[in-house]
Amino acid sequence: MKSDDPSIILRVEGVTKTFPGTVALDGVDFAVRSGAVSVLIGENGAGKSTLMKILAGVEQPTAGRLLLDGAEVHFSSIRDAAQHGIGIVFQELNLCPNLTVAENIFLGRDLTRVRIDIDQSAQRARTRELFKRLEHDIDPDTRVGELMIGEQQIVEIAKALVEDVRILIMDEPTSALSATEVEVLFRVIDELRRSGVAVIYISHRLEELVRIGDYFTVLRDGRVQATATRETITVPWIIRQMLGTEDIIARRPPKVAAGPAVLDVADLCLPRMTGRMAVDHVNLSFRSGEVTAIYGLLGAGRTELFESLFGLRSGASGSVRLKGVELAGRSVTRRIKAGLLLVPEDRQRDGLVPNLSVGGNLGLASLRRFTRYFWLSSKSEQSLLSEIIAALRIKTPGADAPITALSGGNQQKVVIGKTLLTQPSVLLLDEPSRGIDVGAKAEVFSTMRDLADQGLTVVFSTSDLKETHAVADRVVVMAHGRVTADLRGDAATDEALVLASTQYDPHSVAA
Amino acid sequence: MTLTRRMAMLALASATTMLLAVGAHAADQKLIVIITPSHDNPFFAAEASAADAKAKALGYTTQVYSHDDDASKQDQLFDSAIAAHASAIILDNAGADASIAAIKKAKDAGIPSFLIDREINATGVAAVQIVSNNYQGATLGAQAFVTAMGEKGNYVELTGKQSDTNAGIRSKGYHDVIDQYPDMKMVAQQSANWDQNEAFSKMESILQAHPEVNGVIAGNDTMAMGAIAALKAAGRKDVIVTGFDGSNDVRDAVLAGTAKATVLQPAAREAEYAVELADKFLKDGKTGVDEKISMDCVLIDASNAKNLDTFALKG
Amino acid sequence: MTVTGVAIEQQSQRARSSALLLLLKLRTFIALILVFGFFAVMAPNFLSIENIVIVSKHVAINAILAIGMTFVILTGGIDLSVGSIVGLVGMIAGGLIDYGIHLPMFGVIIYPSVFELTLMALLVGALIGGINGILITRLSVAPFIATLGMLYVARGAALLLSGGATFPNLVGSPQLGNEGFPVYGDGRLLGIPYPIIIMAVMAVIAAYVAIRTPFGRRVYAVGGNERAAALSGVRVNRIKLAVYMISGFCAAVAGLIVSSQLVASHPANGETFELSAIAAAVLGGTSLSGGRGSIGGTIIGAFVIGVLGDGLVMMGVSEFWQMVVKGLVIIAAVVLDQLQRRVAASRRA
Repeated sequence: MKSDDPSIILRVEGVTKTFPGTVALDGVDFAVRSGAVSVLIGENGAGKSTLMKILAGVEQPTAGRLLLDGAEVHFSSIRDAAQHGIGIVFQELNLCPNLTVAENIFLGRDLTRVRIDIDQSAQRARTRELFKRLEHDIDPDTRVGELMIGEQQIVEIAKALVEDVRILIMDEPTSALSATEVEVLFRVIDELRRSGVAVIYISHRLEELVRIGDYFTVLRDGRVQATATRETITVPWIIRQMLGTEDIIARRPPKVAAGPAVLDVADLCLPRMTGRMAVDHVNLSFRSGEVTAIYGLLGAGRTELFESLFGLRSGASGSVRLKGVELAGRSVTRRIKAGLLLVPEDRQRDGLVPNLSVGGNLGLASLRRFTRYFWLSSKSEQSLLSEIIAALRIKTPGADAPITALSGGNQQKVVIGKTLLTQPSVLLLDEPSRGIDVGAKAEVFSTMRDLADQGLTVVFSTSDLKETHAVADRVVVMAHGRVTADLRGDAATDEALVLASTQYDPHSVAA
Repeated sequence: MTLTRRMAMLALASATTMLLAVGAHAADQKLIVIITPSHDNPFFAAEASAADAKAKALGYTTQVYSHDDDASKQDQLFDSAIAAHASAIILDNAGADASIAAIKKAKDAGIPSFLIDREINATGVAAVQIVSNNYQGATLGAQAFVTAMGEKGNYVELTGKQSDTNAGIRSKGYHDVIDQYPDMKMVAQQSANWDQNEAFSKMESILQAHPEVNGVIAGNDTMAMGAIAALKAAGRKDVIVTGFDGSNDVRDAVLAGTAKATVLQPAAREAEYAVELADKFLKDGKTGVDEKISMDCVLIDASNAKNLDTFALKG
Repeated sequence: MTVTGVAIEQQSQRARSSALLLLLKLRTFIALILVFGFFAVMAPNFLSIENIVIVSKHVAINAILAIGMTFVILTGGIDLSVGSIVGLVGMIAGGLIDYGIHLPMFGVIIYPSVFELTLMALLVGALIGGINGILITRLSVAPFIATLGMLYVARGAALLLSGGATFPNLVGSPQLGNEGFPVYGDGRLLGIPYPIIIMAVMAVIAAYVAIRTPFGRRVYAVGGNERAAALSGVRVNRIKLAVYMISGFCAAVAGLIVSSQLVASHPANGETFELSAIAAAVLGGTSLSGGRGSIGGTIIGAFVIGVLGDGLVMMGVSEFWQMVVKGLVIIAAVVLDQLQRRVAASRRA
């Protein structure tokens, strides 16, 4: 890195950050240039979020310094960093569900008249402006708790754009966005770049990174592994730096032929109150030994489909038969007992119990497996837990570590591990790779393949085309609540899938 | 807390209790424990201080507690008294049925109990039960009330806490007198739980429902004070009020004319007498009197109110 | 069914659930009207102006406490000490009137005027609230425990001040310059008793603060997602400290009114008041987990409880039935709240 490059406005020098028990960052040097997008890449636990939290003022470095415009700075809080022009969009959404969109965006920096009276109309107007820029139509008076995750993420992005920032940090901003929404975001980033803002971008979606980044830094285990610029960057190079191997997630062919249909879904419907259907007369069958990907955009109905199959939606109608046994109308517990398991989309809210340890969370759904008579046998518990932790390569100081100490990706692995411990026959995974790095993804997919080879029926939903090729034997496409395509092998081309996912809504009034 | 910490605390607590017990035993003086309802009612405060003074005058050490009308708290206080090797307990109890077990427990541990003011529903358990003749007192109060009302009119009765037997006894006493007068009509009867604020609030509402009220007869003085305040706020100077207990507040009200009468329970005298009997019992092995002793109440009205102070009538 | 048929069916389904949702949202207000109507028929003289004023006066004390309690519960906390603060502040005010401040070294007794002792009382209330707040924010004591401890400490202090006795006859005297205390309980402005006016003024200010000021917004945020609020630059500890001080202040106001209307202060005053305040807040739609609730709802809730209590007394219903009814009302309130949320959620699905 040239030390006299005039476009560098923020420099990180030798920053180290230790937490009790771990070294998150070890002597990291990092430069942020104005008018450019600096991309930070790394596996989960490599230190990316920690570094960004230090830049945003949430954490303080244990050693090292930050130089802004050549002068040393210390940020004592987010507000402090914000006052220096640094804004951040977090990976884990930080919104108050009981407040409206406008209220969340202006929280802590309300527009006021006479300093005590909030100017609600001004805030609403500004909010609408911001959403226009993000080409999204969300009513500023909606309660955030009622929005879907993708929309919440857009609100989180809008929050960062309210004040004029010189440096904008975006930590996994696209994980819940559809392809179109990502394009809009990239346009916004481009606009920011042209106006001189320095953008720091963290994401696991490697194809996105190579499109948008100007400067690339790869972190591994808390240290800078390598750097590159736009001219020389390639996806294989990134993966190699991150993991140390060349392979993209190569698809392993199935070891066994697909068996008979295990899960039969007939005329599944889930109405919305608006009169539309979230799940619109879906008929599908899933066979044992097969991995099926359900591909679709945000709002296509994939999550609703899974939740209806799992018994979480009382308004769902239709038949769901597992090995011939009708599950419709049965409770979730019954369905788990019958062997149907769901790994939910929002792991923070639906998949983990924050006050339990890693082991506690893993064992939650399968306590019976290590219960002897009336008590929990800690010996059988420990051995099962170690097996799963090793199989999924969960990075944790131990099974007793609090679940909150793990990085996002490893927490996802715990949720998956929890369901695997129940020995299901059908495993549904809703966006299993959201917020997980390439290495962990590979492991998760590898595990899915292994499970299918053992005879399980594996169904997962994704909005990432590459993932459909990585492990699926069959791709089902959904749009507007209906199944629009059901393709295998070579027929499942990117083109066919995209076309099927963007079909027009049959019930919509012609524009 | 971890297990080891818990055991340490337990050990510490036990050691302290034992030391205290030893300490109390080591002292040459005998201990009398005095337990009454909460001292925020001056009646019980007067009982406790009279007993305390008498016991000290006779050469005992004392410990004074209040059970706040909570039978389980009373139970725990009995445990403490037993652990402290008390020689005797002076008690104004927290429930005619609920207290029997605790008193029996003390008796079995060799500690006699001397009850004042409120009875229990058992004999042979306590050494002595000195009660004001609440019934007699109530009839006195009711008679004064009827006379003041001119033997006719609409009245409200404010009763005490339902769990206290005295509330029922006094109410019966009132009615046995008042119901003989056909022109005396009860328009409302509410419990104000011996509480001044509650009496105030309820009286205000009752006045709204029954503006034709001419008199209020209250089960005790604190409730009477609450009723008087409500009447004052409503500007009703024409309403007759009587209470029961003989407190300084109502004495002042009688002298000022805002109340007509109250009934003195000789609380101080009862408490002293209980201590004297305890002393006799500890020296002679018996009290020499029947278990149930009833002390008469005295009517306090404008004629003798100025001689009343802190539940004792002079002169 | 034809396409239009399906659409019509779905429209009417939607309309029905809209109506249901509206009913549920307004449930506290509807309850108030129902309760009023019931007693208008069943209790003698219920609907007279004078009675309504009296009932409102009774409600005022609980409502004032409930205002402070609402702010506290909005942040996800609770304040169990308000009843004891009512008693303690009443005792302090009573003691200042009856005995003044003794300064033995100057050989002088100072009798503060009613204005001065009011200020002192309010300050004490806010101070105790502040201690609660510090225990909760700095020492990380759970709000339930911290305020429970304060409940006992403040009550004990009230009893210690007088050895258990009442401070009677708080009228003051002209020579000492401390007349006028009974005005809080007895006085009227334009025919309306002061407690009602105080309640109304405090309610309006509190509602404004909650809805229109950044402070109010941040209170809701802390209750909704404390971490998100902190990350948005909200000083969570300061907000929490502030709401407990507000609660203590409200308790002090209530304490002054209670002692003033009895013209006496009694150390047991205010016992169990905290439960009525919490009930009023919960009835009014405040969620105990924080982030949801409104001052307006709380006031209506306080009225429902107050009208219920007084109406039953006027009807001559026994004490025991009064307790049962109160309990049932509170349970019903929470059940309906859950129902409302479920109906609202299924509409979004």
